[in-house]
Amino acid sequence: MPSLNEKKNSKGRVLVAMSGGVDSSVAAALLVEQGYEVIGATMQVWDYTSCDITEGSGTCCSSLDVDDARSVADKLNIPFYVLNCEAKFKASVIDPFIKAYLNAQTPLPCVNCNTYLKFDHLIKKMKELDCDYLSTGHYAQIVTNEKGQAQIKTSTDDWKDQTYFLFTIDPEIVPKLLFPIGHLKKPQVREIAEAKGLVVAKKKDSTGICFVGAKGYEQFIKENVAADILASKKGQIKRFPSGEVMGAHEGIHLYTIGQGKGLGMTYHEKLFVISIKAEDNSVWVGEEKYLLKDEVNIIEPQWLTEIEEGAEYQVKIRYQHQGSAAVISKTENGYKLKFKEAQRAVTPGQAAVLYKNQQLVGGGWITLN
Amino acid sequence: MNDPLQNQSLTSRNVRIYLDHNATTPPAPVLAARWSELLFVTGNPSSIHNESRMPKAWLRETRQKFANYLNCSPLEIIFNSGASEGNSSILKSAWQLRNQNRNEIIVSQVEHPSVIKTAEHLQAQGAIVHWVPVDRAGLIDLDFIKNKLSEKTLLVSVMFANNETGSIFPIKEIAALAHQAGALMHADCVQLLGKYNLEQHPEKLKIFDLDYATFSAHKFYALAGTGVVFIKKNSPWVPLVHGGGQERGRRGGTENVLGIASLGIVLDELKAAKVHVDEMLRLRNLLESSILARIDGCTITAAEGARLANTSSLVMTNVDGETLLMSLDLKGFSVSTGAACSSGNPEPSPVLLAMGLSRIEAQSSLRISLGWQTTEEQIILFVNTLVEVVAKLREINLTGKDLTHAVS
Repeated sequence: MPSLNEKKNSKGRVLVAMSGGVDSSVAAALLVEQGYEVIGATMQVWDYTSCDITEGSGTCCSSLDVDDARSVADKLNIPFYVLNCEAKFKASVIDPFIKAYLNAQTPLPCVNCNTYLKFDHLIKKMKELDCDYLSTGHYAQIVTNEKGQAQIKTSTDDWKDQTYFLFTIDPEIVPKLLFPIGHLKKPQVREIAEAKGLVVAKKKDSTGICFVGAKGYEQFIKENVAADILASKKGQIKRFPSGEVMGAHEGIHLYTIGQGKGLGMTYHEKLFVISIKAEDNSVWVGEEKYLLKDEVNIIEPQWLTEIEEGAEYQVKIRYQHQGSAAVISKTENGYKLKFKEAQRAVTPGQAAVLYKNQQLVGGGWITLN
Repeated sequence: MNDPLQNQSLTSRNVRIYLDHNATTPPAPVLAARWSELLFVTGNPSSIHNESRMPKAWLRETRQKFANYLNCSPLEIIFNSGASEGNSSILKSAWQLRNQNRNEIIVSQVEHPSVIKTAEHLQAQGAIVHWVPVDRAGLIDLDFIKNKLSEKTLLVSVMFANNETGSIFPIKEIAALAHQAGALMHADCVQLLGKYNLEQHPEKLKIFDLDYATFSAHKFYALAGTGVVFIKKNSPWVPLVHGGGQERGRRGGTENVLGIASLGIVLDELKAAKVHVDEMLRLRNLLESSILARIDGCTITAAEGARLANTSSLVMTNVDGETLLMSLDLKGFSVSTGAACSSGNPEPSPVLLAMGLSRIEAQSSLRISLGWQTTEEQIILFVNTLVEVVAKLREINLTGKDLTHAVS
């Protein structure tokens, strides 16, 4: 009887996180084509029975997505497993997401998912399954610098680039990561999916937050937070900077900084949410000019490479932000970023992520303190 | 040996060792040998013309064989889609036709979901359900049953043997208690066929004095989608599926003749049951003694009580059962962490939790279930691999940089 334990090839074994979307499906297909021994896994992160069935086509939490991932794995003839991550996802992604909104912040759940699930839990699974690499369908690239060190670089597709969500990655694991589609643009990824006959080729892009779905985050919070707690978040809308009371609101979690629509009031000039104060549940609105700030403070910094104080970096303060030049300096609690040009809507709970020549340097969480 | 599982792996490894016979069994080699014959088992057995004669014959002969095996009348056999249908039908029948004074049901906490969920369904309709505890030795709480039995008890449902631990429950004694109280007795006997030598009792199934028993063909080397209910004459029955009078009006729908024929063929093999059961017991004991000798921090769940010859449920400290199962699968071994689940998404086993194992123990568990074709060589290969994988996983658990404690 032949040994059952031999590895099949010398290129190595890869655990690939497959969501059932086109990006991770093509990532898996490309790894197979490149000659790796590939194992697919889907993280079951949220009880899909609570999701609206019609949302299945554009989010990553429905069982249909697991079926799609499995179907791609079958097509590629690779092993495939569903990992039960519900408890961990709830504790490290959902609960902090809700808590942030109730504390006057705008959360960034995808970073927590990457920090605690994709690049921690799956790294552990990677080791346990005797894999050499972990791969995802992120739009990001791994490049090797002149010293031979693996580093994360932005994707060729500027529009899809997802390195913003990767700043918490432990630098030690970067050499273990493979991002097989980071050098491609989205239309090329779809072409490959089409050419390889993957069922997901025409699948809608997942946008927004996977576990929230089409019903919107307000509804999600309403369904997952006790009514009395939500009621305790009601408060006044005040004019910035005068403090004049302009009305009442139904909860601070319904507002985000920079928001100009849905303020529940008609007024002769265009007003925006300038700040939200958790201590008295007040939402401050004012003219757009008050949204501009040239300093951003960050806490809990994570660096993939050493940073140089006083040096200038390109900094993104939200996912869809173009990035702008800022000089970094140390503060008591973290770091201060001094922008050359004032930035609109600096939002606590979001991350400020630093780049040097397209290379991901690291980042931290935006705070007002 | 003609191993039907060979070459079926998506891992493209060409050797698979299947040790998950409590989930399902591979079709018996005799079915492969007679496949071309089975392919022509067509025709509607309810028809009058010539084409109905062969399917009618298969139904008649299989029914008679099964009745002989159980030592009952062919009239006491109903074919259906499987044991889940049988279990649902029995609980619902008893409830629908109950005497109004009897509205309590006694069900063990370690039953198959088809019993538990049906009991919960009846609970919502007003039934009072008493859930019988089972301890970690695999012993069912007979005093609990005695205390709950009364003139209000409608039905007692306790399985012959548990699918996850192999624990055999004293259904004969429980049936006697139930009958003393005037209640009906059902036993889910899915894990009996081929894993227990029923023929050691000259009375066969009669020895247990059951009112209902349920069986499934795919747990016994025949095709999935075929179940059998034993219903003692005059026991309450309401069809779950109404139809064209099949199964004497007790189960509508054209019979799954192919599945029933496959069962009929495989039933002939039961003549050799004793030999197979003895061999599985020998191999299971070899498996367990080798594992206990070579892996520290390993315990066998329910080893103290009576068990099926083929089942071993292990708890291995500091090992994640989910990863262990995946690692073994990648190396060519099919085992499970608990009952098979349609989503393939492993949750800690409710059965093990009900038996008093902690969540961590349940998540560190592994079920190995042997079959008639399991060989000593397979067991040795399996143990060697298990030793290696467990050592590796424990090393990663000890040295690995794990941030999980930060959030959970």
